[in-house]
Amino acid sequence: MTDSFLGYRRANGAVGVRNHVLVLGINGLAGAATRRIGRAVRGTVTVATPYGRGQIGPDAEIHRRQLIGLAGNPNVAAALIVGVDRKTLDSVADAVAAGGTTVETVALDDVHEDALALTDVGIKKAAQLARSVSNQRREPCPVSALRVGVECGHSDATSGLAGNPLVGKVSDRVVDSGGAVMFGETLEWLGAEHLLARRGARPEVAKAITDAVARREAYPASLGIDLLGNNPGQENIRGGLSTIEEKSLGAVAKGGSRPIAAVLGHAEAPTGRGLHVMDGPGYSPESITGFVAAGAQLVFFTTGPGNSYCSAIAPTIKVSAHPQTPGRLPEQIDFDGSAILSGREEAEAVAARLHTHMLAVASGSATWGEILGEGDEVFVRLGPSL
Amino acid sequence: MSTWDAFLLNPADDVAVALRPIAAGEAVRVRGGHSVTARADIPMAHKLALRAIAAGASVRKYGEIIGQACTTIAAGDHVHVHNIVSRRARKSA
Repeated sequence: MTDSFLGYRRANGAVGVRNHVLVLGINGLAGAATRRIGRAVRGTVTVATPYGRGQIGPDAEIHRRQLIGLAGNPNVAAALIVGVDRKTLDSVADAVAAGGTTVETVALDDVHEDALALTDVGIKKAAQLARSVSNQRREPCPVSALRVGVECGHSDATSGLAGNPLVGKVSDRVVDSGGAVMFGETLEWLGAEHLLARRGARPEVAKAITDAVARREAYPASLGIDLLGNNPGQENIRGGLSTIEEKSLGAVAKGGSRPIAAVLGHAEAPTGRGLHVMDGPGYSPESITGFVAAGAQLVFFTTGPGNSYCSAIAPTIKVSAHPQTPGRLPEQIDFDGSAILSGREEAEAVAARLHTHMLAVASGSATWGEILGEGDEVFVRLGPSL
Repeated sequence: MSTWDAFLLNPADDVAVALRPIAAGEAVRVRGGHSVTARADIPMAHKLALRAIAAGASVRKYGEIIGQACTTIAAGDHVHVHNIVSRRARKSA
């Protein structure tokens, strides 16, 4: 069967493509100890937020949603959550455990504010988790178990002509197999929102798309700031993109052609199958963390001249269709799509190869970003700390 | 190798996309469109005008409006940030 991969079945029915122990620091005060624990225990992935106190309202909510979502990602077999105060820590840990993830906790409260004692307890707990999850085995799983995030960064004109349409074709295949696909970067719907709105599965989805763009467009204007000179960025302009409309029309191609089931908030998990759009930032690290916190086990990341950023938790497949970039960055670009523009290979054939590559990565083949440790997660903030 | 120097994405488009770096004065063979003579150097993947565009007129690529001309553009000109501008997210909008 070509439409299956080898994944880790979780107790809650979700399927991981990796079997991480996540060491998650939920407060900047515990960041150093969190990273120390992660470095000491093989087989762990470390994510440590620099924030975590003095946040209120929507800012506090979105921070909490991102933390819980990252720990609940199906690629996380077990999580050690590192915090400062017991109450906040338990509140996050309980929410993660309720989703079905195995959770352990350590708090500075428990060790009389001794960060070295915290590290000691944390290393032992993380080691126990690492041994325990090593007993899990991969088994055949259908593509319908996948949620895939789709991102573009450092785009040039080849992104819109070939790289993004290529990923769009694979996105369509994932959707047709019963999986879910998400793309975001609301600002980069601007100028293409009428095309996206037409694909809304229901009238309220179409309205939510145009409303999201209007909010994003009004924000810089409300500050008296002109988007011109900010987006497209300098690397986009060097690559031949002249305006945000032109960039957007190329960017939305990565979402393929299927109907849009719903508009998600940042880090909000899709409730069903199909193509989803996430109303979120155009800054790739934040955008990708939104997908991963929403449950994406895999990310496609298209680029023109190159971009090394990856998710720490979800393998991030770098795709470039630029004639020179894959050859210039052989330890960054996972998939060379340049045959499309040169005319050496039909776009459909390249898309079939990329789909096969995706299943290989889902089954355990390493991305360059994983090998080189490029992965990170970056948190969205919605307001100032008190 | 490709027999085309540039290609047209949509029949409604005012611009074609260079498939390789093109030098000023070269005859450009456009897949899906008519040939033009480049009036400037066009870097790979950048745009060149297939017809004259009046100042203030909309400019199309992908069959959609990508901005408006801020000066008169001649067929064969390099079309980029020096002669087209976004119509969106402007502070005066």
